[in-house]
Amino acid sequence: MTMIFGVPLAVFMGQLTLGLVNGAFYALLSLGLAVIFGLLKIVNFAHGAQYMLGAFAALLGFRYLGINYWLALFLVPLVVGGFGMLMERFLLRRIAHLDHLYGLLLTFGLALIFEGTLVNFFGVSGARYATPEVLQGGLNLGFMFLPTYRAWVLVAALAMCLFTWFMIERTRLGAYLRAGTENSQLMQAFGVNVPLLITLTYGFGVALAAFAGVLAAPLYPVSPTMGSSLLIVVFAVVVIGGMGSILGAILTGLGMGVIEGLTKVYYPEASNTVIFLVMILVLMLRPAGLFGKEA
Amino acid sequence: MNTAEAYETNAATDSQTLEMLRVNDLHAFYGESHILHGVNFDVKRGELVTLLGRNGAGRSTTLKSIMNMVGRRTGSIVINGNETLRMKPHHIPRLGIGYCPEERGIFASLDVHENLLLPPTVRSGGMSLDEIYDMFPNLYERRKSQGTRLSGGEQQMLAMARILRTGARLLLLDEITEGLAPVIVQKLAEVLIQLKERGMTIVLVEQNFRFAAPLADRHFVMDHGQIVEEITAAQLPSRRDHLNTMLGV
Amino acid sequence: MTFIKKTLATSIAVAAASTMAISTAQANMSDGEVRIGYLADMSGTYRDLAGPGGQRALEMAVADFGGSVNGAPIVVFSADDRNSADVGANTVREWIDQRNVDMVAGMVASSVTIAVTRVLEENNGLGIISGSAASSITNEHCTPNHIHWVYDTYPLANGTAQAVVEQGGDTWFMLTADYAFGHALEGDVTRVVEESGGEVVGGVRHPFPTSDFSSYILQAQGSGAKIVGLANAGADTVNAITTASQFGLVQSGQQLAGLLIFLNDVHALGLEATQGLLLTTGWYWDMDEEAREWSERYYEEMGRMPTMVQAGIYSSTMHYLKAVEEAGTDDPETVRAQMAEMPVNDFFARNGRIREDGRMVHDMYLAQVKTPEESTGEWDLYEILSTIPAEEAYRPLSESQCKLVQN
Repeated sequence: MTMIFGVPLAVFMGQLTLGLVNGAFYALLSLGLAVIFGLLKIVNFAHGAQYMLGAFAALLGFRYLGINYWLALFLVPLVVGGFGMLMERFLLRRIAHLDHLYGLLLTFGLALIFEGTLVNFFGVSGARYATPEVLQGGLNLGFMFLPTYRAWVLVAALAMCLFTWFMIERTRLGAYLRAGTENSQLMQAFGVNVPLLITLTYGFGVALAAFAGVLAAPLYPVSPTMGSSLLIVVFAVVVIGGMGSILGAILTGLGMGVIEGLTKVYYPEASNTVIFLVMILVLMLRPAGLFGKEA
Repeated sequence: MNTAEAYETNAATDSQTLEMLRVNDLHAFYGESHILHGVNFDVKRGELVTLLGRNGAGRSTTLKSIMNMVGRRTGSIVINGNETLRMKPHHIPRLGIGYCPEERGIFASLDVHENLLLPPTVRSGGMSLDEIYDMFPNLYERRKSQGTRLSGGEQQMLAMARILRTGARLLLLDEITEGLAPVIVQKLAEVLIQLKERGMTIVLVEQNFRFAAPLADRHFVMDHGQIVEEITAAQLPSRRDHLNTMLGV
Repeated sequence: MTFIKKTLATSIAVAAASTMAISTAQANMSDGEVRIGYLADMSGTYRDLAGPGGQRALEMAVADFGGSVNGAPIVVFSADDRNSADVGANTVREWIDQRNVDMVAGMVASSVTIAVTRVLEENNGLGIISGSAASSITNEHCTPNHIHWVYDTYPLANGTAQAVVEQGGDTWFMLTADYAFGHALEGDVTRVVEESGGEVVGGVRHPFPTSDFSSYILQAQGSGAKIVGLANAGADTVNAITTASQFGLVQSGQQLAGLLIFLNDVHALGLEATQGLLLTTGWYWDMDEEAREWSERYYEEMGRMPTMVQAGIYSSTMHYLKAVEEAGTDDPETVRAQMAEMPVNDFFARNGRIREDGRMVHDMYLAQVKTPEESTGEWDLYEILSTIPAEEAYRPLSESQCKLVQN
């Protein structure tokens, strides 16, 4: 059997594939964080909670309204994103002129409120969300058994990343966003409704998190705390990639997923910390992040 | 939105409104600091006026105040018959104003073409892309480059060019010749003449008096946040020495 | 000393009866009240297995007892330890110093419990532990000031691992939470597997907590072992089982052995993912008529069926209050001696008694998770396969390292 650093090729390939699946989640979430940070200059600590809300919305939508997975994949980001826009319009905007630290604290507080409220009603054990029928079962890749749903997650997340990249880098609205990120005051002097742009951007970032939440619902138990543990890792991914670039956020997310996956084979005890080690390394060598622009 | 329509009706019915811009007793504040102390001036349709003065006299702040980009303002700013003091910042350009900031404001994350297309159209009748590329052939050659990779002169061309596309009829230009080579300054002078011929109204904040002198209809001299003197083009030759002393050049 | 800012102190059940007569018996109760502190994870990973539901069970016991003991009203305090040993120890210290709390109930995370028992010993308090798993609590960490009620890692390994090996599952791959509890459980399981003629062929220690188990499941699949043993708890176990089901672990011929599984875990996972799972439990709500009767009352209060921990909290509180009544005092030493003297036989415990090391030994049960077809309702989840007699289930005193045991 072919060995790679003492690990059978099949195992190595399997971990690589799983790493990519996790990385796709990191990419989706760090993408939303980066987009929000770019324009609002707010570290959105509610991002994990919004991801969790996405999963919960899918679960409750199915349970009480009979909304199926495919519809949820489309509707939930809209609903949770809309909710995010209300948050921006009525809460974040009030403190937009203050130090950015306040935005961080506010979003952190909101995240705790969302989680606490749901814990009160649903507990922490979490509930199961059934995998849609067509995506049940698995694919035999030769070197591993890959559940179809995970393959779908990889495809869907990457498609969404590409869509986001296209929206931001190749459309007029995306040009507004990029320009607003650099100099929003001048954009207003050109007649662009920047407050509206900010609301939409925040809503879009939140919708991305909610989309990731729906994708995650059949994979992990849907529980109020599912976002908070993930969020810290995603922050590290964003720090590694740098806030600057969309493509950077995507590539870093995938890369970190793979590195984490391989750590799970070679030294599993470190798999929760390896991303933070990379983060420290990157901060020492390239403080602006791998894809960030040096200030 | 309706402000733009208001302008149309005003322009049509109120033929005596030759005035494009009237600023009355304008005070502006950045936080606690009081920058403008009662600025008064007016600009007629098709006129090119300059705001002259030393650094810190309040010329750039006057332009920014018109765009509602400073902290707090009092007084009155009437554009095309519309009082704009209470308008939101993004509604003001829709009255047909184009603003070119002192630092040029070219966006690094956009290429030249995207920079050019960025400002939304505020009125019909703007220059077409072809016309603009005709006027600034350098920009066409470099249209795929990142905005901030251009030379200083090219960036200035781009900053000007992009507000011509929007249909703006009143241009507020802040220090457009600063730090540029004489040949570029000459080119900009030609551009301004062309724009004037097209009937644009222009407010020019300038340090370079030799550049501004032959172009302007009137000059306003600012000091300590006020307009201290108005000099017409006709008066200019006799007042030149006086001006040089005042501006310290 | 840092005080807990967020101690939620609620006094309940000051029944009308208590105001009736300040009797002479009360003179023997400190402050004229019996004060119980309920300490548990009220908001984190372990919330659902004890948490607010455990508090409710305790309050039910107080109410069923009549709200007072010999005329002394029973007062309940509660606090969230947030799974932090510091928070737990400081809360209990404050309870004893400032509020004269007589008995501390609940207690889930083993690390919190061990810290709290030290405080109890220093201050001569009394604790009845219902939530924790580590068998060391009544072994090297035993004190004369606490009792361990519901279960511990010893019978978990004993019951489940032995049964699995006997059914032919003789090669094991261990999936272990990388901290003290996981290591202890892994050790116990390894011993039992080897003693029963099986073999542990491999294992992986995962960080605590972990949400994505796909990689470890893949390694388990690659190991070729017949049994994948889960030496973890709570959300980790739930995640591991979910992932195993997605990767078709069972379909490809391997079997899972969950070593610490609570009712709420199985409920959360659903029968589709857990069917056939063998587990050891100290109690099950549907195991007999008495258990059902109490559980249905609890269900009306909480809208959920109780876990063994929640039932154990009721059972142990009842036993404590009876002992206080019998002894006529709330002095910890006397009450503990009284509790040990009385056998425990109620809806929860069969053949129960409190040993000198503080272990309440009682019958344990080997259970199997039902298939969706077998289950008749939302909470119809286990089938009890066999009973592990009280005296065989727990670590024999002859092997004990407890300082209270004369060997």
